[in-house]
Amino acid sequence: MKQSDLLNYFHKDLFIPELKALSKDGVLKEMAVWLESKKKVYETSIIYDLLKNREKLGSTGIGGGIAIPHCRSIAVENLTVLFAIKSKGIDFKSTDKKSVKLFFMVAAPPQDVNYLVFLGKLVEVLTDKKIKKMLLKVKSFEEFKNIVSGVK
Amino acid sequence: MNEILQKLVMLQDLDCMIVEVKSKDAKKVQKKMGLEIKGDEKLQDARKVLERSIPPSILSRYHKLMERYGKAVAPVVNNSCMCCFVTVPKRLTIREVGNKELRNCERCGRFLYWV
Repeated sequence: MKQSDLLNYFHKDLFIPELKALSKDGVLKEMAVWLESKKKVYETSIIYDLLKNREKLGSTGIGGGIAIPHCRSIAVENLTVLFAIKSKGIDFKSTDKKSVKLFFMVAAPPQDVNYLVFLGKLVEVLTDKKIKKMLLKVKSFEEFKNIVSGVK
Repeated sequence: MNEILQKLVMLQDLDCMIVEVKSKDAKKVQKKMGLEIKGDEKLQDARKVLERSIPPSILSRYHKLMERYGKAVAPVVNNSCMCCFVTVPKRLTIREVGNKELRNCERCGRFLYWV
């Protein structure tokens, strides 16, 4: 998978410019509700519960202000990514203990073969120091797209 | 949505997650992500709590189906069971109607979940 291929999974209506939530669970809930409101998942409670269970294995905060909460469920039809910003940051129990500002929620059906490939590529891009530095300043979906596609 | 059906979907998703935690590919990706997987004990605990809230006869059927097929709940897409591809009755084409009660596929016997 190429870096530019990642953008095929990102959509403007799956972008939250500023999260309202003030806690880790609140962020997961707000994002799960958003996915249901956009008809990308069928039951918020199933996804929310699953995401919380995934966090029990260890935080999906990968450090540097970024988290990738993810899960697989039959309550999801296609691989879906929701990108959200919390500009003030939130304690997400990340590996580096830093607060998280950028959230990339990935949900997919169990049989999706691209899930792990996508996660791997996403992490590769998000851990690139140059890209990460630019992403942490992002305020709009267009800015995000330009950075990932290499325009900026 | 039927409450028991919802719990069965959650249980199956949890079972899939436990399998994934143990898989080499998933571990490789998680490691690449810089994430530490602390073991599945907490998932097993969550699973036990969920199991206790499901009636024994239904849970027993769930286990038998998991043992036989590896999946006990099948998604219904375009009016078909996505595991054995049999067409479900036409009166159940609407998602809300289909998921209102606990139903089983007439061919494979899996619990049906309309997506």
